[in-house]
Amino acid sequence: MTRTSAKIVVVVFVLSLATASFGAAVQMIFSSSVYSDVKGNGLKLPEGVACRGNVLVVADTGNGRLLKYTVDGSTVKGGQEIKVAEATDPVKVQMNSKGDIFALDGKLHRIARLSPEGAFKGYIDPAGVPSPSEFITKSFKIDGADNIYILDVFSGRVLVLDPSGKYVRQVAFPEKYGFITDLAVDQKGDIYLLDGADARVYEAHGDGSKGFSAVTKDMEQDMNFPANMTVDNTGQLYLADQNGGGVVVLGPDGSFRGRPIVFGWKEGLVRYPAELSINENGVFFVADRENSRVQVYTLVK
Amino acid sequence: MKLYRRYRYALVLSVVWLVCLAAPAHAEDNRFKLKMGAKGKICLNCHVDFQDKLKDPFVHTPVKNGDCTGCHSPHASSHAKMLAEQVSKVCAGCHGEMVPKNAVSAHKVVVEGGCVKCHDPHSAKNKFNLLKAGNELCFGCHKDMGEAVGKVKFRHAPVEKGCLTCHNPHASEKSAFLLVDAVPSLCLGCHKTDAPSFAKQHMNYPVAKARCTTCHNPHGSNRGGILFDNVHQPVANRMCNQCHMDPSSSTPFATKKPGYELCRGCHSNAVNEMLGKNKIHWPVLGKKGCLNCHNPHASTQAKLLRAPMIPLCNTCHNDTIQRQERSQTKHPPIQEGNCTICHNPHASDADFLFAQPTIIGVCNTCHDWRNHTGHPLGEKVMDPRNRNVAVTCESCHRAHGTENKHFIWFTPMDEMCTQCHKQVGR
Repeated sequence: MTRTSAKIVVVVFVLSLATASFGAAVQMIFSSSVYSDVKGNGLKLPEGVACRGNVLVVADTGNGRLLKYTVDGSTVKGGQEIKVAEATDPVKVQMNSKGDIFALDGKLHRIARLSPEGAFKGYIDPAGVPSPSEFITKSFKIDGADNIYILDVFSGRVLVLDPSGKYVRQVAFPEKYGFITDLAVDQKGDIYLLDGADARVYEAHGDGSKGFSAVTKDMEQDMNFPANMTVDNTGQLYLADQNGGGVVVLGPDGSFRGRPIVFGWKEGLVRYPAELSINENGVFFVADRENSRVQVYTLVK
Repeated sequence: MKLYRRYRYALVLSVVWLVCLAAPAHAEDNRFKLKMGAKGKICLNCHVDFQDKLKDPFVHTPVKNGDCTGCHSPHASSHAKMLAEQVSKVCAGCHGEMVPKNAVSAHKVVVEGGCVKCHDPHSAKNKFNLLKAGNELCFGCHKDMGEAVGKVKFRHAPVEKGCLTCHNPHASEKSAFLLVDAVPSLCLGCHKTDAPSFAKQHMNYPVAKARCTTCHNPHGSNRGGILFDNVHQPVANRMCNQCHMDPSSSTPFATKKPGYELCRGCHSNAVNEMLGKNKIHWPVLGKKGCLNCHNPHASTQAKLLRAPMIPLCNTCHNDTIQRQERSQTKHPPIQEGNCTICHNPHASDADFLFAQPTIIGVCNTCHDWRNHTGHPLGEKVMDPRNRNVAVTCESCHRAHGTENKHFIWFTPMDEMCTQCHKQVGR
C-alpha cells in the first residue's frame, strides 16, 4: 500500500467514525402548528396530546375540552370538539388500539374512558389494588396491548391494569428520588420513570419484579425540569423539558442524543411543553402549553 | 560469629539501602544550601518583629524549630506569602488530608484549603494555634448562629461548652453537619432515655430510635425543652397519638393515615380548598404529602416550613433558583425568599400556581404596569407572533431572570421589540 493510499484509508476511517457518531443525533423538522378547532376557535393552554394511527387527540385544558383531529402524513385536519361533564379539566390523553380515548382529569385525578366518538364510557377505577389501596393518578400511559399504566404519586408506585382496567401488578418507585413527574412504556413493556426534580430516568424491565434502576445520571446539565416523557418503537426516549422549554432525546441506554426542539414563541419553538406523542410513522406532536398550540414535527433519522 | 557471616551480606545491603534513603532526605532538608543553623535564624535577621510571635504560648513546630523553609520558598514563589505550595498542600505535607475520603460532610473552609482562616500557621495564644478561643472562632463566620445562641432563653449546655462538643471542625465520617456522631446516637451520649422522667416527657414513645432534631433545636431555643420556636399544636399539647399510632403498638411512629390524608384530619378546610382548585402543587398529593415542605413537629420557620423558602423551593426547583442567581437583574421577591408573593405553594386556579388569576395581576401586586409602559397589555391584546397568546408582562420579561438586564428575553432591546414589530427591524 502506498503512503497516499494509507492516508486515504485513515481519512475515510476517521470520517466514518464521525458520521457514525453524528448518526446518533436526532433531528426533527418542523411541519405545522395546530391553533384551532374545526370551527376556528383557538386552543388555550393545551396540556395533553396523543396520536395513534391517523387520529390525534388534544387536551385543550384551558377550554376544558378534548379535540379530535385526523392526521395524514404530517398534515393535521379537523378538530372536532369533545366535551364531557365527567372530564372537564383534561390534562393528559391516551388512546388504545380500538380508538377509545382516555383523558385524565386534573381536578378529579381520575381517568375517563370515552368511545372513539367521544361518549363517556366510565372511569378507570381499578378494583383489587393491594394495600395501600389509595392512589392518585398524576399521569398514565397505554401500551400496544392496551394495558394501562398509572403513575400513582400518592403511594409511590406504578399500577399496571389490563385493558378492562382490572389490577394486574404494581411496581414501587425507586427507594430514593426527587419527584416523579411522568412515565413511559416501550414496546417490550419495560416501564420508564421520569424524575423531574433530579432530571433522571429510571427503568423497570419486564414484569418489574426487580424494581426500578437508574438509566441515566442526574442530567441537570442537559435540562431544567423534565415533566413529560414518551418513547418510540426503537426505545428512544423523548423528554419535555418544561421549565427549560425544549425537547431532549435520549438513546435507549440513556445517552444524550440532542435537544432538537428549543424555547421560543415562533413556530417550531416551544414554551413549557406539557405532553409529547409520537405515532407509528415518526410524526411527533408537542402540546405547546404556553404558546396555546400543538406543534407537529417529522422525525429525521 | 557464624551468625554474622551468614547475615553479613544482608546487613551490608540494609546499611547501603538506609544510606540511599537518607541521602535525598538530607538533600531535601537543605535544598537551599544554607549554612549550618541558618534555616530560621537567617530569616529573623530581616523579620525582626517575628521574635514576638515566638513568645506566644503555642508555636507551630516548624517555627519553633526555625524551619521557615519547611513552608516558605525563600527566593521566589507562585503563591502568596512566598509559600512553597498552596496553603492546603503545605499543611497537608505534615498533617495529611483533613477530609477523609468517605466523609459524609466536610467544612467548606477546609475543602477550600482555608486552614489559616482558623489556624495561625506561626503561633497563637490558643491551643491548636487557633486564631480565637472556643465558640468565638466559629461565630466569627457563623454570625447568625452566634447571635441566636446568645439570645435564646433556654440554652443547650454542650453549646456553652463549645461547638466541638458535637461538631468536628474539619469533616465527619458519620453524619451531616459535621456532627461527630449521627443523631440520635450523639444525643444519647448525654441523655439517658431509660429514665422514667424522660419516658414521661416523651409520652412513652420510644424516641431513642427517633431523630431528636425534628422537635428539638440543639442550639437552644425560646421554648421549654429547647423545642424549635414554632411548634405544631399537637406536639405542644403532647398529643402525639393524634397523628401517630399508640406508643405500645408494634409501629409506634407510623402515622394513622398516609400523605395529606393525615393532615386533612385537622386542616380539612385548607386541604379541601386545595383539592378544589384547577392546579395543585403535586408534592401535596405525593407520598410524603404536606411533609415535603412542612415539618410536622416543630421548626425554626414560620408555618413549620422545613427550611427558609429559597432552599426549600430549591429542593425541586433548583433550575429556577439558579436562573435567578445567574440573572443580571435580580427580582426582589426571589432574592428575599418570598416565592409565595407570586405563587400559591398549595394550589391555584391559575397557570404556574399564580397567587392571582392572571400574570398581569401577579405583577401588579408590586408594579403598577400602567405607569411602567404605554405598551398595550391584557387578554384582548393578541401577540403578533401567535394568535392564541395575549400580550402580557411575560411577553417581554422572564420573572425569574435572564442573562439580560431587566430580565428581558432578548438583547439588544431592538431584537426584543422586532420580535413583534417586524416592520422596524433592520
